[in-house]
Amino acid sequence: MSDSAESPTETQKEEIHPPPDDSATNDDKKKIDVLLKAVGDTPIMKTKKWAVDKGRTVQSLAQFISRFLKLDATEQLFIYVNQSFAPSPDQEVGVLFDCFGSDGKLVLHYCKSQAWG
Amino acid sequence: MSCGVLDEEEFSRCCQLLLHHSDSVGDGWSWEAVQSSDEGYLKKTVLRSVPADQSITQKHKESGSDSEQFDYCRFKTEEQGVNGSADSLRPDVEDEDDCVCRAPGGSSCSSVLQFEYHVLYSCSYRTPVLYFRASTLGRSLTLEDVWNSVHPNYRLGLQSRPLDAITQQEHPFLGQAFFFLHPCRTEEFMKPLLQMTWDQNRPVNYVLSWLSVVGPMVGLDVSLDYVTLQQPTV
Repeated sequence: MSDSAESPTETQKEEIHPPPDDSATNDDKKKIDVLLKAVGDTPIMKTKKWAVDKGRTVQSLAQFISRFLKLDATEQLFIYVNQSFAPSPDQEVGVLFDCFGSDGKLVLHYCKSQAWG
Repeated sequence: MSCGVLDEEEFSRCCQLLLHHSDSVGDGWSWEAVQSSDEGYLKKTVLRSVPADQSITQKHKESGSDSEQFDYCRFKTEEQGVNGSADSLRPDVEDEDDCVCRAPGGSSCSSVLQFEYHVLYSCSYRTPVLYFRASTLGRSLTLEDVWNSVHPNYRLGLQSRPLDAITQQEHPFLGQAFFFLHPCRTEEFMKPLLQMTWDQNRPVNYVLSWLSVVGPMVGLDVSLDYVTLQQPTV
């Protein structure tokens, strides 16, 4: 997956775990556009805009971001919608898009923390 | 609200806003006043079905998946016996690193537990604190039930320091044994969130934001309705 990290992200989009023969449009495959924004001193992802299956859960997305950022196993990643609210880990991103999406995308803020200990 | 903490007056204000919203969406929160003062706490009761047989069959998995099978209860043997209901869990050593706890003689049927969640204000940490307990006919919540209610998303982080994160504590007002989620890191994870919202001039309800983060950790769902419907800001 080529990734020109310094270029603007508006036109650059990656898909999370696309199936091998995926060549369909977002509508056909029911994906939504997600824009990921880092909070605090959480590392910023080089690729911020992603096409994500509507049925994907917040938990799954958090795990993806954690792996992408190579976070330590004890670091907790929190995801927020509306800049203030942590949706349930089982919540589907498609539902979040329906509630909070604007301009055709869902903005999610993510933040890492040593939540315990 | 600043630097990740809040004072008691702000706590009360946030709670009242949350209550107002809870009433409008029927989420069941109530305010328990303490001795007719302004002091008090939020309370909610939830019924939850929990499988009685929680025998552990899987080894620890590093990466977590979306599978429904999880390691429900893992402790480091050297950290045993700090406090709490030690007599209700019997560790079985599965491998050289971890021990695994099994439900004492559980059946394969599920039982219905009544969970009670209380949101109190901690003067020492200047943050909200979540207390909880559960009961069912003839049985009170064990530490194992507690772990079963922890969402897998948080289990790994909590498991790394389980006895610091969830411990038994005397309820400050009721004087009864509750489990509580230790608030020592609350300021740390709330601070960047609050900073972001204040930078963008959109103050939020501290208690609601905090609850949305910690609630799922102990099986408490905080509905999107709190955010999707219009609500007054603090």
